[in-house]
Amino acid sequence: MELSQSDKYLIVVGIIFCIALAVLSPYIASGDPDGLEKSAEDAAVGEDVESPVMESPFPDYTYEPLDKLGEIGVLIFGGLITLIVGLGIGYALKKSD
Amino acid sequence: MHIPDGFIPLGQCAIYYVILIIALYFAGKWARANLDEKRIPLLAVLAAGIFAIMSMNMPIPFGTSGHMVGGALVAIVFMAPEAAVLVFTAVLLIQALFFGDGGITALGANVFNMAIVGGCVGLYTFKALQGMIGKYPSAFVAAWLATLVAAVVAAIEMAIAGTFPLTVGIASMALYHAFIGIIEGVLTVIVLYALEKFRPDLLAWNRE
Repeated sequence: MELSQSDKYLIVVGIIFCIALAVLSPYIASGDPDGLEKSAEDAAVGEDVESPVMESPFPDYTYEPLDKLGEIGVLIFGGLITLIVGLGIGYALKKSD
Repeated sequence: MHIPDGFIPLGQCAIYYVILIIALYFAGKWARANLDEKRIPLLAVLAAGIFAIMSMNMPIPFGTSGHMVGGALVAIVFMAPEAAVLVFTAVLLIQALFFGDGGITALGANVFNMAIVGGCVGLYTFKALQGMIGKYPSAFVAAWLATLVAAVVAAIEMAIAGTFPLTVGIASMALYHAFIGIIEGVLTVIVLYALEKFRPDLLAWNRE
């Protein structure tokens, strides 16, 4: 894969953006329920209705042993995985020339 | 608006998965015809950026919070809701598998709401308004409406699933997402403006 200089900048800016959000959000993101969770509360949906079918390795973007540092770490991990998967999908499906 | 496992019965989840597979077929076809190598990094960076921004829940009134989704943004950047389907399938799958955010059984429904409904409402609202009120105001309204309509569709799905009654679901989802949509609109405009300023070559609206 050959990337132009400006595409490299784009990826670097993307990575910096993800790392910055990963570092900030464990401290400043709101812990209030989101719109769907709050609507479920308004409709008196029981807590037990939500039933994960599999155990995720980092539930709710946390890694307990490392507390806040764990949250930052898993968010950076998630952002990088997403970037790599995005590139993979792009190269797999790109326009054939 | 990530629907967790357990909110939709499995039989209904299967229907949304069928919709997802059909959408992915069209998204793949779109990519093979339109996704040139130059725009692959953009697709990947938008996916990673959307993953990251979803962790940034901002407070809205009523003790609720919300974050940007980005379906309208991706659809407007590429002028194709198909691009949103690709991006959101990747992001939502990673979120469900690794982080338990959004159910794996609800993946089809979540992609349907955020990418198909959000992307189509966003793109077509943008196209309809662009000539009248200009690019950025149109993008704001498009992103706001995409969030609101996706939330109402999620409420309807919840009613079909028997999880929330329709009236409470629609009233609550619409009210909260009318506020969340403002965050969506502002951030959508900022990203489009930044791309126009630094990488206008990547925006599909400069090619049509």
